[in-house]
Amino acid sequence: MSSSTTATAAPARSWASDKLFLGLPFWEYLKSLATPGNFLAGLIMAIGVPLIAYRFIFGLGAATNLSQTNPWGIWIGFDMLSGVALAAGGYTLATSVYIFGLEKYHPVVRPAVLTGFLGYLFAVLGLMADLGRPWNLPVPIFFSWGGPSVMFEIAWCVVLYLTVLGMEFLPPVFEWLGWPKARLWAVRMTIGLTVFGVMLSTLHQSSLGGLFLMAPTKLHPLWYSPFIPAYFFISSIAAGLSMVIVESALSHRAFESRIDHKTDINGIALGLARGASIVLFAYFFVKLQGVADGGRWALLATPYGYWFLVEMLGFILLPSMLFAYGARHSHVTLVRWTAAWTVLGIIVNRLNVSVIAMNWNVPDRYFPSVMEVMVSITLVTIGVSTFRWIVNRMPVLNELPEYRDSASH
Amino acid sequence: MIPHDILTLYSAKMLEYGIAVLFLFLFIPFWRYVQGPAKVPAFATARSRTPVTRAAEWFLTPADRLFHRGHAWIMGGDDGLVTVGLDDFAAKLVGPFSRVSLPAVGASVGQGEQAWRLVAADGRSVDMLSPVDGTVVELNPALAASPALAERDPYGNGWLMKVRPSRLRANRINLLAGRAVHRWMEEAAAGLRGHFAPGLGALAQDGGVPVAGMARAVDPEGWDRLAAALLLTAEEDSDA
Amino acid sequence: MKLNRRTFFKMAGAAGAVALAPTTKAAAATNAEVLDAARRGVLVDTTKCIGCRACEAACAEANTLPGPAMLDDAAVFTKPRKTSTVSFTVVNQAAVATPARFVKRQCMHCVEPACASACLVRALDKTPTGPVVYHKDRCLGCRYCMVACPFDVPKYEYDSALPYVKKCTFCADRQARGEAPACTSVCPSGALTFGMRNELLDAARERLYAKDSPYVRHIFGEDEVGGTSWMYITDIPFEKLGMPAGLGSYAYSSLTQASLAAVPFVLTLWPPLLMGIYTFSKRRNEVGAHGSDAREEADHV
Repeated sequence: MSSSTTATAAPARSWASDKLFLGLPFWEYLKSLATPGNFLAGLIMAIGVPLIAYRFIFGLGAATNLSQTNPWGIWIGFDMLSGVALAAGGYTLATSVYIFGLEKYHPVVRPAVLTGFLGYLFAVLGLMADLGRPWNLPVPIFFSWGGPSVMFEIAWCVVLYLTVLGMEFLPPVFEWLGWPKARLWAVRMTIGLTVFGVMLSTLHQSSLGGLFLMAPTKLHPLWYSPFIPAYFFISSIAAGLSMVIVESALSHRAFESRIDHKTDINGIALGLARGASIVLFAYFFVKLQGVADGGRWALLATPYGYWFLVEMLGFILLPSMLFAYGARHSHVTLVRWTAAWTVLGIIVNRLNVSVIAMNWNVPDRYFPSVMEVMVSITLVTIGVSTFRWIVNRMPVLNELPEYRDSASH
Repeated sequence: MIPHDILTLYSAKMLEYGIAVLFLFLFIPFWRYVQGPAKVPAFATARSRTPVTRAAEWFLTPADRLFHRGHAWIMGGDDGLVTVGLDDFAAKLVGPFSRVSLPAVGASVGQGEQAWRLVAADGRSVDMLSPVDGTVVELNPALAASPALAERDPYGNGWLMKVRPSRLRANRINLLAGRAVHRWMEEAAAGLRGHFAPGLGALAQDGGVPVAGMARAVDPEGWDRLAAALLLTAEEDSDA
Repeated sequence: MKLNRRTFFKMAGAAGAVALAPTTKAAAATNAEVLDAARRGVLVDTTKCIGCRACEAACAEANTLPGPAMLDDAAVFTKPRKTSTVSFTVVNQAAVATPARFVKRQCMHCVEPACASACLVRALDKTPTGPVVYHKDRCLGCRYCMVACPFDVPKYEYDSALPYVKKCTFCADRQARGEAPACTSVCPSGALTFGMRNELLDAARERLYAKDSPYVRHIFGEDEVGGTSWMYITDIPFEKLGMPAGLGSYAYSSLTQASLAAVPFVLTLWPPLLMGIYTFSKRRNEVGAHGSDAREEADHV
């Protein structure tokens, strides 16, 4: 999707052509959309969007395999929980760059914030597909407050954090629109927004784990722990760092014409890998502590115990070691594959807690329906497409020359 | 909190403390391993075709080493030995080596005197100067199997040899450190740019990666003479 | 201040109020007792239940639900049933051959309900007199109450486009009118006794600890999950009745209290902590830049 303008006979291009259609006249732009990637995305959406409508017309029972025993499925386990965990790159990178002053990672902070924003947005959309009465979303905000509920705190945090992320992304939007005064105003808020965002992220990343505190008899003891909130928060940091490594690797290939080639993307990946390896190392021991605290050692010799060991050793300790090795020996390819594996591991963990190890001792088990899977794929596709749309137009992977030296964020 | 009975708590708490202590013991070496000596080269993709137009920040110059004008470095160790290697500029200048001819263990080397030879795939070679006076004590065993290490990781696993220095304090007068290194590297890069500029047209103001085998990119026929000139081992040049 | 009658009465009134008002501690104790004394409950004595299921029929009628299935068919007891969106209470047969024991299952209306603690909009809400009621207009349909309930009581209308949560209401509206719940008012055998929870506990203990009593010496629901309004006594093991095992005596709301208590701390401590790090790192970056400039000057010379 590179922007190539043919020598135009007409004087100035229209605003729409310039901003929206990649500088092309409208029909040329439409023709340029006929790529294999777009075709696949379109196909997915052509199937998925009607499915979402079907779910709303005929109810959750018709579209999902949810039951009275299993009220939560992959729309919660994958779209909501994994989506929010993987969107944690927003706050981790913003903190690293703006709070800790690690300017080295500046080139990836904007894509990370964008990934974070879109990740949260589509997690919320997934949630709205899952809620029985999504039009009541304003109720916990404005009308009826269930203070003792962890879900209440999550609702507020997510609403506020979406706002924060949206505002953190305003500088590139204003740069795209060419509004320098507005941009300067937006840039000045960055530190405050970052601090606020870290606070909210700490709260809701951990609270998403805290939801499961209310299921001591339903969640398998190896995953149930009073420390689930800490587990979720710590793993969200590793998830965010890994996701940024993966996303930047894909973006630098997919958007090669737009990126700033001076960016030391390999050095950045190695630096993030260093951080991720330390976090995963600590996370492993924290989870080990949870097993000790509950005295659960004997459970490790059961089928679920083996699966727990797979998660611990294969998806936490192994990537920690691989990240460490790759960072030390500058093996960027190894680091990138490890990051992808870690992303998978986070998804595995969130699915374990919500769906796989949940109701482990009950005969009526849950397995997602084809429609549920299709809707999840559709939501991810729409998210990726939105990401591409924005990156192709706004200064996310590159800097506009007129703003390069200004008090930049 | 789910209550535990006190009898389970005794062993559980001791185990938790144990795990925490174990973690602390493991954390220190793990941290050091992860941070590692190997630093990331400024631009790892060595196969880009865009020419060099920006200077010093493209060549890595770690702060804990002393540099010789022949583009070699030394790093002091605890055992009285110094590790010797070639710097990022030399590595990128000459490009992938098929072999590095090092002096034998026990041989003497002199600061500013020819010490080792870099042999490239096309058979041409460039000599480099030793940064210190002393006796060669150890050669990097990994280089025999993988000479490319010296080009890929010149400051880390691609070190060349260990030398017992005989006149280190005197040698240090001729070695560069700190910010002087950056200035010197900029001049070296400027010198290199001077070779590029005549052959190319308008260049972009920014962007560009140092090419592996920069000398070859500039002058495919006579690159070894160019490299020797820059590394101060050309025939006419006498030692520093 | 002139001491006339008005001021005198004012002062006397104030002094009297202070004297009569209980101290804080005593006030708290009274508060808990007051709450406790207001609670209603039901004692289910399974030794008396004959499995007639009149309670199911009365519940269906009171809530305008379709009547219970297989009302006159004993085959209904072959497999234990669960409540559903259209039957708020079921009577199951216990898993013992003799004697025939039956157990009525419905919402337990816990003293500290997990569902109400979990509900982010107080759609499920605990009332002081006992019933856990459902305000359907607030409900988002997040189904967290279903995850939280240790008895798996709330049921969801998955097949509706406008779904609600369905469960026993303890006939809160009838109780508000001073009547007993529909099920307890039709029970012919005296298995269900509706009354004040405290008094029911006393009555239960009397039965349990009477001489030669056949009962298992445990009142299910006295302490389980912090206490429930519906309490059970029986003469067979409770697992045979199908009551869930392994429920501690802590209320589920206590499970999330530590996590939620941390929220104000994070809100208070994170900003100064992060701004401190920011200031430190900013200063360090600036010094780094200036320091190198100074050294560059020295090199020139």
